[in-house]
Amino acid sequence: MDLTLIQGGRKTGLSKWFLRVPALLYVTLMILVPLIVIVEDGFRAGLSGLIHQISVPIAQHAILLTLWTAALMTLINAIMGLATAYVLVRYEFPGKQLLNAIVDLPLSIPTLVTGVMLVMLYGPQSALGAFLSEKIGLDIIFAPPGIVVALLFISFPFVVRTIQPVLMNLDLTQEEAAATLGAKPWYTFRKVVLPTLLPPLLSGSLLSFSRAVGEFGAVVIVAGNIPLKTQTAAVYVLGAVESENRLGASAVSLLLLTIAILVLMTANGIQKAWENRHEN
Amino acid sequence: MKSKIRILVLLALIAATLAACSPATEQPSGDQVSLILAAYTTPREAYGEIIPLFQTYWLEKTGQDVTFEESYLGSGAQSRAVVEGFEADVVALSLEADVNRIQQAGLITHDWKTVENQGVVTTSIVSLAVREVNPKGISDWADLTQPGLEILTPNPNTSGGAMWNVLAIYGTALRGEIEGVPGDDPDAAFTFLTQVLQNVSVMDKAARDSILNFEMGIGDLAITYENEILVGQQSGQTYERVIPSSTILIQNPVALVDASVEKHGTREVAEAFVEFLFTSEAQEIFAQHGLRVVNQEIAAQTESEYPPVGDLFTVEYFGGWDVIMDEIFGENGIYNLAIATAQGDAH
Repeated sequence: MDLTLIQGGRKTGLSKWFLRVPALLYVTLMILVPLIVIVEDGFRAGLSGLIHQISVPIAQHAILLTLWTAALMTLINAIMGLATAYVLVRYEFPGKQLLNAIVDLPLSIPTLVTGVMLVMLYGPQSALGAFLSEKIGLDIIFAPPGIVVALLFISFPFVVRTIQPVLMNLDLTQEEAAATLGAKPWYTFRKVVLPTLLPPLLSGSLLSFSRAVGEFGAVVIVAGNIPLKTQTAAVYVLGAVESENRLGASAVSLLLLTIAILVLMTANGIQKAWENRHEN
Repeated sequence: MKSKIRILVLLALIAATLAACSPATEQPSGDQVSLILAAYTTPREAYGEIIPLFQTYWLEKTGQDVTFEESYLGSGAQSRAVVEGFEADVVALSLEADVNRIQQAGLITHDWKTVENQGVVTTSIVSLAVREVNPKGISDWADLTQPGLEILTPNPNTSGGAMWNVLAIYGTALRGEIEGVPGDDPDAAFTFLTQVLQNVSVMDKAARDSILNFEMGIGDLAITYENEILVGQQSGQTYERVIPSSTILIQNPVALVDASVEKHGTREVAEAFVEFLFTSEAQEIFAQHGLRVVNQEIAAQTESEYPPVGDLFTVEYFGGWDVIMDEIFGENGIYNLAIATAQGDAH
């Protein structure tokens, strides 16, 4: 099938629907219907019921903990992801291919396994965990830092992978020109490279944020899950489901969903605006 | 309105597809019958040994070959699965409230407590697991409030086991069995529960996860079922069991699900299986897997392994599960208040 054939086919009504109907039906069945069920369930007791459920102190604390740990992770991920992508694209070194492959690994490790690995590494019974706790007073596992570390691990690829292609397409001559004009590397990076990378950086970061807000598997292992202290929203939702508080579960889920949708739409908007500007 | 119809059509489509995929209900033929057992996870190994015995027994008695489909999940999740359509013929759960849920859904229509021992097939007690040689010197509940002690107990919202733990702490305090805590004083018992909760460092989602974390070296003490400790010791773990002077008796019910046995035509064999669980043969196997049994003869034989508790109480002390679910684990129940107080003070 060549390009002209596809383009020609677009004009006829039949083949127009040939692809659209199954695709739209698929999205509706797999994504939209489950979402509608949650929305309907969340509003079962009306808006006031929903607000009551998310303002229960334990739920409220869980939501805030989820949001601030995800935000902190996003900040770190943005900076370190940018640095990683830059190094992977601009520099040559032994083991580069391997490192490049490892970047995607967190996506294919079950997050539960991630949690277990982190407990073994930083847990109070490990040498490193005991050292950090006793000498520096920093508890990682069963405390909020553990949540941030787990989220960093699972969402690491998002920033790197959105920046990499843009950086590869970025004309190296611009950087070289700046350098020949006497600009220091940091200055060149800040004034020449960063402005171009800012949109993919933002959208990659927001993507990792929305991924982190819903994380359950790794967090439930590392967090400690004490209500009002280390229990995140996703873990709270499980508790609500298990203890027959389905309304509470739906209400908090709905809030997380709304946040994720807003964040993803912002990410898409940024990406789109950037593409438009780029085309002109 | 239109969108609602559309969703309904879609759901109908999905249902039709699923129905087309699943095999038609199997009616038992003359020499072949199948039972679905839905159980909580603790007695998995015991059932693995009991089921072959029952199969032999049933074959000899009736000439019928009985095959089993076994499912093991957390008690609450298992109970909800049955309510939502998992057609288990027999359920074996960790607490009565989970059987009551199935009954309230209309799937159990007979009085399931009319079988032997009111349907309670095994018991256990809430105990304490401490490190080898008991370095923190834990001998009873009162020691759990010592500053800096790290306690593991699962989350009562997700774990039936954790509910027993909270009931054991609160109940013992209320009964005046804890040194320094006046009896019949709800405020004093509440304060004691709060003090213990302040020392809880990890709340896992299930009792099993909690003891696994303890085995990984986390925490000084785990509040758990006695059978978890005994099974762990059998597999080479070095932690020790501390039996408190007062604790709650955990009662694990078993029940036949009328809706399922009617549909599958398995009532006779399901009833026989439930009865079989109370025989000396089956009870002996439960006892080998750390559970306290209800069969008097086997209980007497295994008494050295399962020392009696000074003050043992049951859920009836609180007025039964309905009262407990409302007053202790309800939205504004004692447990939620205690957690809030414990964390409020910790800030």
